[in-house]
Amino acid sequence: MSVVLTARDLTRHYEVSRGLFKGSALVRALNGVSFELEAGKTLAVVGESGCGKSTLARALTLIEEPSSGSLKIAGQEVTGATKAERKQLRKDVQMVFQSPYASLNPRQKIGDQLAEPLLINTNLSAAERREKVQAMMKQVGLRPEHYQRYPHMFSGGQRQRIALARAMMLQPKVLVADEPTSALDVSIQAQVLNLFMDLQQEFNTAYVFISHNLSVVRHVADTVLVMYLGRPAEMGPKEEIYNRPLHPYTQALLSATPTIHPDPLKPKIKIVGELPNPLNPPSGCAFHKRCPYATERCTTEEPALRVVDKRQVACHYAEQFVAA
Amino acid sequence: MPLLNIKNLNVRFGDAKAVPVVDGLDLTVEKGEVLAIVGESGSGKSVTMMAMMGLIDAPGIVTADSLNFDGQELLKLSARQRRRIVGKDLAMVFQDPMTALNPSYTVGFQIEEVLRQHLNMSGKAARQRALELLEKVEIPGAAARLNAYPHQLSGGMSQRVAIAMAIAGEPKLLIADEPTTALDVTIQAQIMDLLLALQKEQDMALVLITHDLAVVAETAQRVCVMYAGQAVEVGQVPGLFDVPGHPYSEALLAAIPEHSMGASRLATLPGIVPGRYDRPQGCLLSPRCPYVQDNCRTQRPALDPKAHSLARCFYPLNQEVA
Repeated sequence: MSVVLTARDLTRHYEVSRGLFKGSALVRALNGVSFELEAGKTLAVVGESGCGKSTLARALTLIEEPSSGSLKIAGQEVTGATKAERKQLRKDVQMVFQSPYASLNPRQKIGDQLAEPLLINTNLSAAERREKVQAMMKQVGLRPEHYQRYPHMFSGGQRQRIALARAMMLQPKVLVADEPTSALDVSIQAQVLNLFMDLQQEFNTAYVFISHNLSVVRHVADTVLVMYLGRPAEMGPKEEIYNRPLHPYTQALLSATPTIHPDPLKPKIKIVGELPNPLNPPSGCAFHKRCPYATERCTTEEPALRVVDKRQVACHYAEQFVAA
Repeated sequence: MPLLNIKNLNVRFGDAKAVPVVDGLDLTVEKGEVLAIVGESGSGKSVTMMAMMGLIDAPGIVTADSLNFDGQELLKLSARQRRRIVGKDLAMVFQDPMTALNPSYTVGFQIEEVLRQHLNMSGKAARQRALELLEKVEIPGAAARLNAYPHQLSGGMSQRVAIAMAIAGEPKLLIADEPTTALDVTIQAQIMDLLLALQKEQDMALVLITHDLAVVAETAQRVCVMYAGQAVEVGQVPGLFDVPGHPYSEALLAAIPEHSMGASRLATLPGIVPGRYDRPQGCLLSPRCPYVQDNCRTQRPALDPKAHSLARCFYPLNQEVA
C-alpha cells in the first residue's frame, strides 16, 4: 500500500493578545501530532471542542502553515514548498466542511460550483468540464437537472452530497472531512456516510475524518486518533481502541457515549470538570485534573506517546490497563 | 389521571387550511415519568412542547380537544393565569444554553427573577435560594458564580444555570429540548446524569426532546416517535428498541452507525421527509416505506391501540412477538 499522507511532529501555535498591558500568550492548538495514512484508508480524529481537530484539518489542507514539524503529501514535503508547488499540492488534498449551509456559494449554480475546481486547475474545455461534472453528479446521486439549480433549492443532505462532489472533482489523494454529518439527521447521515464509503472504494481516496461522534467513527475508521488539548492521547487500529481503550480519556469518552443497548451491569466512568483553558494548560499530563486514576507523577511529568499493546498511547500507566 | 394529557393537538402556521406542523397528536405524561420524543428535524417534536408552554405566536394557530396539565385546561386559561403555571409547574430547558440566558444580567439575578416572579421571594432569601440552586446543579464555586455573566461561563456551565432556573419553581413537569446537543460528549453525560438525578429527587416528570436514539435508550422509560408532524409510534423503551412496530422506527434504528457492526453500508430509507407542498395523500411514510401496500397510498392509518406498542401503520411489524 502506498502512503499518501505523512505527518511528523506537526505543531501549530497561535499567539493571542491578552489586552493592552499584558504580553501575548501562546496557545498550543496542535502540539506534536504524527501519523501515516495509506491510500484508500480512513484516519478518524476524535476529541472534544478545543482539542485541535480543526486546527489539524487546516494544517493538512494547507490553509495554514504548521508552526513546526513536517507534512508530506504523496511523498512531497509541504513545509518550505514554493508557492507554485503548494498550488499543485492543493489539488491532492480537498476538504468537506461541517455545515453544507455555509460551504456552498448561494449565488452560484451547482454546475458552476462543481466545475470551478476544473476551471482553475485543468485545461479542459467547457464541454469537457460539463461532461465531467455531469458524471460526478450522477455518481453522488444528483439528477442532471440539478446542474442549473442554486444551493437554496436543496436539503441539507443533498447539499452535503454537492460539497462532497466538489471535493472529489479533482480526484484528490486525500480528503479531509471536518464533522461532515453532524448537521444532518440520522437517516440522512446514513445516506451521506454510505456515499463517503462508496466514493472511497471507487477512487481509493485516503480520508481524514474528523468527528466527535464515536459511533460514526467506529463505522468509518480504520485508524483512530484521540486528541486532548492539542496532543494525541491514543492512536491505533479501530478494533484495539474500541475493544480495549488504554488511555483514561479514551475510556471516559467511550463510556460517556450513549448506546442503543445499554449494559446496566457496566458502570459508567464519571468524568468530572471541563476542558482546561488552553491558555493555561495544566502541568504534567493535560488530562490529570479530570482523570480518575491521576497520581502525583501525572501532575508533574508529561507522559510520552509510546507503543503499548498494538497502539500508541500517552499515559504513564497504560501498561497497567493492559493487565487489568 | 395523567399529569399531562394532550388530545388531538394541531399546530398550523398561517391560516386554518395550512398544512399542520403538528397533526392530531395524542400524548400523555404520567407523574414522575421520563418520556422521550424523538424525530428528525421538522417532525414537530419541538413545536409540540412549545405549544404546551404557550410559546407559539401568531401566525401560529394551536388547537386541541384537550391540553390538560395537572387538572387544568391550558387553552381555557387567561394569559395571566397561564403565566402563573409556565415557568413554575411547567418549565423548560432549551437547546442552546448560550442563547437561552440573557447576556446583560448576572446568573444570580436571572435565577432570582424566577423566585421573585413565582415564589414571592426577595432580597437575602432569594439570594440564598439561588445559591442553593446553583449548588444543586453542581456548579463549582457557586457563591462566586452568582455574580458571573453568561459570557463568563462555558457551554456546560450555562446549561447548568439554565437547569437551575428551570427547577427553581420545583416544576411538576420539566421539558428539555435537546439539552445536550450543543455540548461535548463528556459534558453531555454530566448534564444527562444531573437531569435524571433531579428528576428522581424531585419526582418530576421529564419530557426529553431529542434526535439521538442512543440518549433515549439510556434515559427514557417511554418514547414517542414523530414523523412529519404525527406520532407514528409510542412504546416502552427497551421494547420499542428491540421490536419496533412502525417501519419508520425500524428504519431510524437501522440507520444508526452503531447497528451496522462490520457492514460497510448503512441501511437507509430513500428520499427525505415530505415538505408542506408534497405531502402524500395516504400514509405519510408511504413514498419511502419498504413495506408499502396499495391502500397505504390512499388511506391514512391511525394509531392502532391493539398493537403491542402503538404504531400508526396498517401493517405493523413484529406483531407475532408480542
